[in-house]
Amino acid sequence: MRSKKRIIITTLVCIGIGALAYFAWLFPFYVFDTNNFSTSIEKLFSVGYLKTLVPLFIIIGLSAVGIVLIVLLRRMLAKSDKNYRRFADVRTGRTRGKAPKQKTAAFMIIRWVVMIVSAIILIWGGLIFGMGISSLSIPVLSCPWNTEEMTNSSCYYLSHLNELFELPIGSILLFFISTLGFIFVLGRVICGFICPVGLIQDIMDRLRRRTNTEGIKMNEKMYNAITPVKWFILLVFIGLCFAGGNFCNFCPAVAVSPILAGMSTSLYVSGFLMVLVLMGSFFKRRAFCTVCPLGTIMGFFHKISLFRIKKDCHSCTECGACYEACPMGIKMIYTEREKTDVTHANCIMCGECVRCCPEDNALSLTFAGKKIYTSSRKKIMSGTDKLPEHLSDL
Amino acid sequence: MFTKRTETLRQRQDRRFINKETQTAAKYLRRMKELSGAPEGIEPFYNTLERIYVDMDYVKSGAYRHTIGTYCVMTPPELIYAAGAMPVKLCSGNYTAFSIGDDIAPRDACPLVKAVAGFKQTGLMPVYEDCSMMIVPITCDCKKKIAGMLSDRCEVMTLHIPATRNDDDIEEFTRQLYELMERLENITGNRITYESLSDAFRIVGYAQYELSEFIRLKKQMPYLIRGSHAMAILNAASYMTAGEWGRALHSVNETLKKRIAEKKTVTSKKLPRILLTGSPIVFPNIKIPLLIEENGGIVAGDETCMGERGMWDPAVITDNSFDGMINALANRALRPCPCPTFADNSQRIYRIKQLIKENQIQGVIYHVLRGCLVYDFEYKRIEDELGKLGIPVIRLESDYNEEDIEQLRIRIEAFIELIKLRQEPEKNKAVRKNF
Repeated sequence: MRSKKRIIITTLVCIGIGALAYFAWLFPFYVFDTNNFSTSIEKLFSVGYLKTLVPLFIIIGLSAVGIVLIVLLRRMLAKSDKNYRRFADVRTGRTRGKAPKQKTAAFMIIRWVVMIVSAIILIWGGLIFGMGISSLSIPVLSCPWNTEEMTNSSCYYLSHLNELFELPIGSILLFFISTLGFIFVLGRVICGFICPVGLIQDIMDRLRRRTNTEGIKMNEKMYNAITPVKWFILLVFIGLCFAGGNFCNFCPAVAVSPILAGMSTSLYVSGFLMVLVLMGSFFKRRAFCTVCPLGTIMGFFHKISLFRIKKDCHSCTECGACYEACPMGIKMIYTEREKTDVTHANCIMCGECVRCCPEDNALSLTFAGKKIYTSSRKKIMSGTDKLPEHLSDL
Repeated sequence: MFTKRTETLRQRQDRRFINKETQTAAKYLRRMKELSGAPEGIEPFYNTLERIYVDMDYVKSGAYRHTIGTYCVMTPPELIYAAGAMPVKLCSGNYTAFSIGDDIAPRDACPLVKAVAGFKQTGLMPVYEDCSMMIVPITCDCKKKIAGMLSDRCEVMTLHIPATRNDDDIEEFTRQLYELMERLENITGNRITYESLSDAFRIVGYAQYELSEFIRLKKQMPYLIRGSHAMAILNAASYMTAGEWGRALHSVNETLKKRIAEKKTVTSKKLPRILLTGSPIVFPNIKIPLLIEENGGIVAGDETCMGERGMWDPAVITDNSFDGMINALANRALRPCPCPTFADNSQRIYRIKQLIKENQIQGVIYHVLRGCLVYDFEYKRIEDELGKLGIPVIRLESDYNEEDIEQLRIRIEAFIELIKLRQEPEKNKAVRKNF
């Protein structure tokens, strides 16, 4: 009975998404009179740039309102819940003090630097460094409508396969070779390190952590419920062009890169979706990545990519900290007890599991067999290795 | 000619109880002190045990006005500190209390529970009497019934421990922790805030940091410290505040670091290295580690919940909201815990295998308290698994009295001899002179 209900809901959601994607152009979010795709560095410092940014401001404003509303709603719910009533204020109110925090690992700093640098390159790179390598395709959700993108993004031709095969054979080969090459060398590191949509989501997550706001905890059941939706979105991503639709009107990434690069781009469903992505990623880290079609495609190749997550099954105590920390909800990482390689198709190599693992060498992130980030008890306890002044007499 | 008895029967019983109790505790403390090679800085731990069991005094709770009794490692101490109270572990190893509890609890109940029942009956142990509330995680049937028995003397909160560790179980446990917090607040009169909770995480985290340093040093060099001394240190944690215990352990760690630098060990011989696992070993019931070390073995590691395992797993904050921290506590309490109360506990075998590898263990002693069914159940599987590795295991069943001590001694002696036969004979390194 329950599974029947679930199937019906999933089907309805999928039909909704499909219809929304197909008729995306009927739902305008913000339409410019003319879409102007010409830009230059000078334009970035002119008043006209602000005009192109208007849809982005609307998106940010709407998401902020949405987030505040959700927080207030949750406060109301917590106050009416008999188990949590007493702690409703502590949970949702403003907090004093700071939770103990381990010292930031070099790996995490590198990840943030790489993410920011690659976002700049993917958005303004063409303007700054020229278009020398623009024929290379990298499978990343940075919108190719941004014609000044330094490299091409594979997502356009993957979602418009009919156009791909009209290209000259050389271009097709280059497309496949560069896309597969990036997938082989980097794998889903692209998701965790390079993707600008990923960066935006991580920034939202940071904001939540700063304000000590409670997130929405996903459990295994919810992830299982999302999986069919993810597959359906992939189907829409690849198949929409053959049905006569355009995935770009649906894709939330359109609302970032071209607009920031100074191109006035009309937004359709993608604008609404971007609001959802921002709100979602505020409460659940990397919410969009769990359904990202490009990520799913890259996940097919997770067995061959050079970056891997390795596990020493003997050191593991099954404490589940890695699972709690994982933004993609990969459970197998802590239940696995035999294999040393625990790279999962959903893994975006963010290194969060390694950061939160309290056992020495139990988890490590490797590149071509070389360990680049290893878990350690000392690191995880580095926030509490001394008693602070005000507690020293307790 | 005849002196008239002024004492009532009850008073006489009480006096006898106190005499016997303090004598046994003092004896085991003395035996522990007689073992060679205690590290410098161990005195605060001895003093704590002496204070509680020999002087029969209250715990030094410092700034905390209330003490809260806890029975298992599944109770998160962080919450109790956050409410401004001090947690005291009440799992008992007392022989005298056991003999009283023997008449109250059924014959097949485990001695640990009988001892608790005995203390409750006499009402003489200050540590027990001082508690404002007791938290009893229901890890076995005996614990469930003792929670009922205790509740007519003191406020008791039971924590339901699920049989599996899925996401739903963690959620349910989190809900129980909220309930626990509410009751703690009612007792102490303090509110648990984000600030007090993060400070509690810092205090417990500090103790755990020092513990992980201690264990790291211990496995760095064999024979650095005797297992009985380690056991005394870890047992004393029950009656000290986390901050005080952490600071005291810090100075022990300094000694151990010095020993490593000077390559000094407790013995120059190659004593058989033994891992102790199974039912909890609580002071003053430390006859097994003492017997091992008095008969030429060394307890190189232990996997018992009053020992190294008890505080080993830190609560990892993956989400720094208030609810996230409570969730981290629930997660830490259930998932990494190798307690046999869970239906699937294969992680314990991996843990034991890892301890064997890290501490170069040569033999495993599986301790079972008589009537402790859950631990007894797991013996077979562990024996099979360790058999594949070629590590000898024996199962030692014991009770809280001294009647079985000779029998235990014979078995331990034989086990140690067996390991010695298996290891290569020590070469006589002294150069022969003067033919």
